[in-house]
Amino acid sequence: MLKKTGLLLGAAAGVALAGAMAIGAFAQGAAGPFTQAQADAGRQAYNDNCAICHQNDLSGATDAPPLAGDAFFGAWKGRSTEALYSKIHATMPAGRGGSLDQETYVDIVAYILHANSARAGTTAFTPTTDVAIGRVATGKLADDVLHPPAAAAPARGPREADPNVASSAGFARPGQTVRYGDPGRFRLPTRLGLSLKGDIQNYVPVTDEMLRNPPDGDWLMFRRNYQGWSYSPLSQINTDNVSKLQLKWMWSMPENGTMEDTPIVHDGIMYMWGVGNVIQALNAKTGELLWENRLGPAPTSAGPGPSSEETRSMGLYGTNVYVSTPQGYVYALDARTGEEVWKSHITDKEGVGRSTGGVIIINGKVLVGMTGCGRPKSGDHCYISAYDAKTGKRDWKFTTVALTGQPGGDSWGGKPDDERMGAETWIAGTYDPELNTTYWGTAQAKPWRRDLRGTGTGATDYANSTLALDPDTGKLKWWHNHAPGETFDLDEVFERVLVDHGDQKSLLTIGKAGILWKLDRVTGKYLDHAETVFQNVFTKIDPKTGIPTYRKDIIDQKVDQWLSSCPGPEGGHDWQATSYHKPSDTLIIPLSQSCVFMLGNGSETYFEMPGSDGNLGRLSAYRAADLKPLWSFQQRAPFLTGVISTAGNVAFVGDFDRVFRAIDVRNGKTLWTTRLGTTVQGYPVSFMVDGKQYIAVTTALGGGSPQLKPGTMLTEVHRPITGYALFVFGLPDEK
Amino acid sequence: MTNRILPALALVLMASIPAFAAQSSFQTNLGPMPLDDETKAVIAGRGDATAVLDGNTVTVKGSFHGLPSNATEAHIFTSPVAGVPGKQILDLDVTKATSGTISGTFKLSAQQAKDLRTGKLYIQINSEKAPPGYSWGPKGTLWGWLFPAHETVGQDVPQEGHWFIPQLDTPKN
Repeated sequence: MLKKTGLLLGAAAGVALAGAMAIGAFAQGAAGPFTQAQADAGRQAYNDNCAICHQNDLSGATDAPPLAGDAFFGAWKGRSTEALYSKIHATMPAGRGGSLDQETYVDIVAYILHANSARAGTTAFTPTTDVAIGRVATGKLADDVLHPPAAAAPARGPREADPNVASSAGFARPGQTVRYGDPGRFRLPTRLGLSLKGDIQNYVPVTDEMLRNPPDGDWLMFRRNYQGWSYSPLSQINTDNVSKLQLKWMWSMPENGTMEDTPIVHDGIMYMWGVGNVIQALNAKTGELLWENRLGPAPTSAGPGPSSEETRSMGLYGTNVYVSTPQGYVYALDARTGEEVWKSHITDKEGVGRSTGGVIIINGKVLVGMTGCGRPKSGDHCYISAYDAKTGKRDWKFTTVALTGQPGGDSWGGKPDDERMGAETWIAGTYDPELNTTYWGTAQAKPWRRDLRGTGTGATDYANSTLALDPDTGKLKWWHNHAPGETFDLDEVFERVLVDHGDQKSLLTIGKAGILWKLDRVTGKYLDHAETVFQNVFTKIDPKTGIPTYRKDIIDQKVDQWLSSCPGPEGGHDWQATSYHKPSDTLIIPLSQSCVFMLGNGSETYFEMPGSDGNLGRLSAYRAADLKPLWSFQQRAPFLTGVISTAGNVAFVGDFDRVFRAIDVRNGKTLWTTRLGTTVQGYPVSFMVDGKQYIAVTTALGGGSPQLKPGTMLTEVHRPITGYALFVFGLPDEK
Repeated sequence: MTNRILPALALVLMASIPAFAAQSSFQTNLGPMPLDDETKAVIAGRGDATAVLDGNTVTVKGSFHGLPSNATEAHIFTSPVAGVPGKQILDLDVTKATSGTISGTFKLSAQQAKDLRTGKLYIQINSEKAPPGYSWGPKGTLWGWLFPAHETVGQDVPQEGHWFIPQLDTPKN
C-alpha cells in the first residue's frame, strides 16, 4: 500500500507506482475497489452532505468543483483513490474537514467512483485503498446519477432520525451520541410560517420619492441610496465622539447557514433576513420583536453554509417589504404585520434558478438577479427579471448571456446558445433616476476556465460586464465587458457606484481582479482604472478602451495544468461593498490579498499575495474624481463586511477575526474597535430613531471564497462556528 | 507578526550609500507556499529576507521560523512573473531546523540581475514534510518574491497616498 509518505515522492514516481499496483488487482475495466452497498450508502451521504454545493449530478457550482465528468477525470485519472479519500476527508464539508465519520467518507468516495462509471465489486473500499482512478473509472457520468431511480431520488432533506444520535450538542440528551458535523441528522426545531403577527400602527408607506431621496434617518435599500453609496448623511456620531460608542442592544439570529445581511430601516422599524428565510421586524431603538415570518425552508445542515444560501438585501415599497430568497422565490410581505401578500418564483421551473443578491425596487417593479442558473445544455440561461410590486406578476426578463444574433452574440467562439452559461447576477443593481437606467454587474461565464468552457479567446458577452438596462422594459442600453474571456473565477459582479463630477456622470466598480474601473454611465465608455492590489492575470490594460490582455500561459492553458492567479477567487475585491463618502469624494474599498493555483477542474491551493507581507486584508481609499490613492492600511485578517461612511467623517468595517472598527475617513486612522462573537460579516448600516443615531452590523458565517480561503490560510485565527447576531451601537445617553 | 527590522535596515543601507549607483536593495516576506486544508499542517511558517545587489554580485540574508518540520534546502528561483512558479537557479545556505537563517552571495548573469530588478526572483525554502514537486500542485514550505526595498509598517497603520503594489512599483525592464 502506498503510504502517506509515498505521496511526498515526485508526481511521476507516485503515479507510476500507483498505476503499477493497480494493474494486478484492478485492471482497466475490471470491477472497482468498492461494493454496491457502499456506493448506495454513499449516494445518500453525498446528497446529505455534498450535493448542496457540488450538485446532485456532481457537476459542481460556484466554489465547488465538479466531481464527475471530463473536468474531474482530467484532474484525477492519474491519481489514486487514497489521495481522493485523503483530499475529501481533510477538506470536506467545506470548512469542516474531518467532521463526518470515517464510514461516511468511505461511502462518499465509493459513490463518486460509481458516479464516474467505475463498477462495484466485492472488495470494500477503505481509507487506504490505493488504485489509480483512471484504471477503474471512465469519467463518464453513470446513468443512475444522471437519471436517479425513483426510490433513490436525491434526498436533500434529513435522513430518518436515529433516536440514539443528536444533531448537535445543544439538543443532546444524556447518553446520546452527538454528530454535530453530520447534516443528514440535523433537525431545526422550527415551525414555518407567521410565528408572530405584527400590529404596527401609523406605518408610513415608502414612496418612489423616498427611494430617490431617502429620509436621513432611514436605510431603505441595499446600499441606502439608488446610487449605491453606502453613505449616511447622519453626523451625530463623528470623529470626535466615536470612541465613546457603546452597545445599545443585540439580537441573536438563526444559525446554521450563510448570512451576509443588510438590515434595512424605515421610520424606527428594522427588517432583517435570517437563515431559513426567517424575516423579522424589530423596534430599531429597543430591539423588541414586532413580527416574524419563517418563510423556510429551514436549514438541513448544521454549521456554516455555502455561497448559495444567503440573500444580501431586501426592499421596502408602499406598505410591503420585499424579499428574494436563495431558493428563487420573491415575496411581498406586509411590512406592518408580516403576512404574505404575494409570492412568485423567478423561473418557470422550480429548482432551476436561485437568487442571493436581493432586490432593488424601481418605478413600482421589483428587480431580482439570478444565481445557480444556466446548467449545461439545459437551455436555461441566467437573467435579471422584474415583478410588479403590487401583484408579483413577472413583467420582463433580460438574459445575461448574448445569444446568436444579439449584440455580442458572436463572442462565444461559436458555442450553441444552449451551451452559453454563467453571467449570474448575485449583487443587486443600482439606479440613476435621471437617466432612468439601472446598472448591474455580471459574473463570469461558466465553466470558469476557458479550457473547459470551449469558447477560445471569445469575450463571452455579457459575462463579467456592466449592464445598463431600462428598468421599465428590461432592454439593454449598453454593456461594457471588463474581463473578456475571464478564466479564473474573477467576477466583476459587484457594486456599481454612481458618482457625478460636474457634467461627468460616472460609474465606478471593482471586481475580483482588484481593478477599480470608471465608466461613463451615459454611454458605457471606458474612462479610467486603478490597480488596487497585486495582480498577475493581465499583462496590460489598453488605456483607451480598458480592455485587458491576459498572461500568455493563461491564454494557452490546458485542462490538466496548474495556473497561478493573483488575486484568487477571494478577490481583490468581493461582495464586501465599497462606500462612497460624498463630502470628500472618497471611495473606501475593502480589499483582500490572496492568490490561488487552480487546476482545470477548479481544484485550488491558496497562498498569500506577493508583496502583502502576509496581510490578507487591505482597506484603501481613492478619490473618485481622478482615482488618486489617498490612504491604505493592511492587516492579517481580511474584511468581511461592506464599508459604510457617514457625514461625521467616520467609516465602519468589520473583519474575519471578529473586529468591528471605526476609522477616520480622511486618513484611515482607527478611532474605535470592539470585538464581537464571531466573524463580523454583512453590510453595516446607520439610522436614526427619536433623534439618536445608531450603527448596526451583523456577525455571521458561511459563504464562498471570502470565508473559505482565509479559513484555510489563517490557521492562527479561531472563531466560534455559532454566533449569528445583530449588534446595534450608539453614543451614551446624556445624563 | 513579521520581522520589520531587515527591510528597515535595507532602506537605511540604500539611503546611506548613494554614491554606489549600481547598488540596490530588495526585500521579501516569506510566507507559506500554496496550501489547502489537507496540506496546511505541513506548509507553514514565516520569514524575511533581503538582497543587496552591488554591481553583479548579490548578497542574500534572511531568517525564518515556525516550520512544521526541519528545513532541508533553500534556493533562489526565477519566475515568468511574480506569483508564478519558475526555475531553480541558485542554492542558498539554510539552517536545517524549523527556524534559522538563509544566506548566500552570488555573481548574477545580466539576465538574472534584470530578473531581480524586475521582481521575478523568489526565495523558496523546502522542508522534510513539504518538499518540492509532489503531484498536487507546486509545493515547498515558504516562498517570497524579492521586490525593491519599500516601506513596511505594522498592522492597521495607515499609509498616506500610494503604497507599494508590486506590479506598479517594480521596474518593467
